[in-house]
Amino acid sequence: MLDVGGRQARRRRRTVRTVEAAVAMPVLLALLLLGALLFDVITDTLSWQVLAPAGSGRSFAFAEGFAPFGSWDRVMRLELAARGVPAEDIEPLLADPEERRVLEARNRVELMPWVDGRPFRWLVTTVSDELVADRPLWSGLASRRELLAAAEPGQVVVLNAWLDPAFVLRNASRSPLVAGLLPAFVGSLLLVGLVILLAVPIGVGTAVYLEEYASDTRLARLIELNLSNLAGVPSVVYGILGLTVFVRLMRLGPVVLAGALTLTLLVVPVVVVAAREAIRSVPPSLRQAAYGLGATRSQVVLRVVLPNAVAGITTGVVLAIARTIGETAPLLVLGAAAFVPRPPDGLLSTFTAIPIQIYSWVSENDVEFTHAASAAIVVLLAVLAVLYGIAYYLRRRFASR
Amino acid sequence: MRLRAGARARERLFGGALLALACLSVLTTAGVVAVLVFEATTFFSDPLVSLREFFTGRQWTPLFADQRFGILPLLTGTMMVTGIALVVGVPLGLMSAVYLSEFATARRRRRVTFVLELLAGVPTVVLGYFALLFVTPLLQRFVPGLDLFNPLSAGLVMGFMILPTVSSISTDAMQAVPVALRQAAYGMGATQVQLIWRVVLPASLSGIVASVILAFSRAVGETMIVTLAAGQRPLFTLDPRETIATMTSFIVQAASGDQPAGSLAARSLYAVAATLFAITLALNLVSQIVVRRFRERYE
Repeated sequence: MLDVGGRQARRRRRTVRTVEAAVAMPVLLALLLLGALLFDVITDTLSWQVLAPAGSGRSFAFAEGFAPFGSWDRVMRLELAARGVPAEDIEPLLADPEERRVLEARNRVELMPWVDGRPFRWLVTTVSDELVADRPLWSGLASRRELLAAAEPGQVVVLNAWLDPAFVLRNASRSPLVAGLLPAFVGSLLLVGLVILLAVPIGVGTAVYLEEYASDTRLARLIELNLSNLAGVPSVVYGILGLTVFVRLMRLGPVVLAGALTLTLLVVPVVVVAAREAIRSVPPSLRQAAYGLGATRSQVVLRVVLPNAVAGITTGVVLAIARTIGETAPLLVLGAAAFVPRPPDGLLSTFTAIPIQIYSWVSENDVEFTHAASAAIVVLLAVLAVLYGIAYYLRRRFASR
Repeated sequence: MRLRAGARARERLFGGALLALACLSVLTTAGVVAVLVFEATTFFSDPLVSLREFFTGRQWTPLFADQRFGILPLLTGTMMVTGIALVVGVPLGLMSAVYLSEFATARRRRRVTFVLELLAGVPTVVLGYFALLFVTPLLQRFVPGLDLFNPLSAGLVMGFMILPTVSSISTDAMQAVPVALRQAAYGMGATQVQLIWRVVLPASLSGIVASVILAFSRAVGETMIVTLAAGQRPLFTLDPRETIATMTSFIVQAASGDQPAGSLAARSLYAVAATLFAITLALNLVSQIVVRRFRERYE
């Protein structure tokens, strides 16, 4: 007998509420994990350090060193003077491109949030600086006075901000202090460019063929079967395919082109799925109208279907870009993990990419390289956030049509 | 349709070009199979390697002077990490799916799906970083004897990586349960909990199983989390606190090493990759069969 308003009903409602709370828990756990990840990565980009500087060890006030777009030069001049370089030699040193390149490779000009108790000072750190201690943000915050007291003369206590604007513009280096993300950033950009160039025609072409030309033939089903199987293949296996075919068989070597070709193969199924959905959502009446006006199949595709499917196809392209930027395993297997100090200067040069750089920095068992890795992760996540944001926006606009 | 000769030729050319592009996927699959089969057979035809030792041997040391080629350590490593990942990811994923399809309002559903998509979008190298540098130190406080590289941390984080997969496919399966079935249950006096437990879950079982198998396949093939957090030391053990190697972490190790290209050590990479490919292919096929076979019963 159903007891509608009484004790049984109340117990049942309580059970339902408990069950609802229980099944909602994983989502909260996922949020917690994402939050912990973000928090951990961001706080790791700041560290308290005690350095024994090889340069002058002097820090300069913010106003002393700041110049819009010219801070590096201004601070470098102050630093060279402080190191004892005679005044008349400083300008020629900075003007000579060779000397300047060496200076840029060895020295890092940075606005540190805190130097020896004073906020926002310019400091020049070099590859030869000796690291005496490195503390994470929170524990260092608590013990910064002790750090200051324990520092020997000549040593500098700083709050090092590893993710500064120049991080993305510096070259990689064997010294974590001056390591930058430029080669990896340019490498990723090159890869993305090439992959779009290759994967979009292939992916859209395949989608058009499957939807417009051969919808129910055995060939189409074979192609569809292949696509769905390829989507389930681990990305390392693509890397092995690329290693064997592009790097070894075609003698390309571990270069940008080989990486781009491999990633194209990986990413084509993503484009195909999105393009098919977009093409399918074009109303048949548009097609019929075009055929009725005497258009050929290619004209219908090129002038009616594709222009109307652009939003969905672009979403697929953006997702493909996100995948390209985030994939590590295939490139690692191809051989992109070697130390690459400079950005690639062409399609046939060795390269690195942002996730590869993160991997190799984390693999160095060095606490300072971990900070650099965290900074790189923040850059990577920021780029992905922008991309996913664009895809999300496109999907909503596309859906409302 | 009557076309001028020139236009007809152009049409056929266009269609042919599209066909060529479309066949690239077939070519890719053929390429993968060809490369793996060829290199693996070359590997197994070497006198130092025996098929029996490969599948039953407990030592995997192709990169050492004394070369042994038993793949069991890599298999146990992979299965340990994958097992932990499934134990974490499947229940959590199913619970999310139940919440999304049975309890959440439309607005809540959009927000929760957004969070899950965020989770799915984190690059695996970042998850590996998190496992090594955050989860492992945290766990080392509670688990005695936990190595720096261990399958436990990797498995835990990987569980969250597969959670969105399990959740989204299971949610689709649950939402596809016919309304008539639900209303019949309510009509017979079922409570919401009874509805979920006795009607929705059994009805969407094929989709749920498919999602689990797919998640299994993804976990087996996952590389970066295990390379960074589980280790690269092949060891035949079932203790999740010890450093091990998985099939994928060995592939990375062998590929980044300096083995001369034709050597047996380098070829062992292909044998492992072939095994990995076979496993994931089998899992994907099984998942497709499960969906097709069981779906008929409830419609």
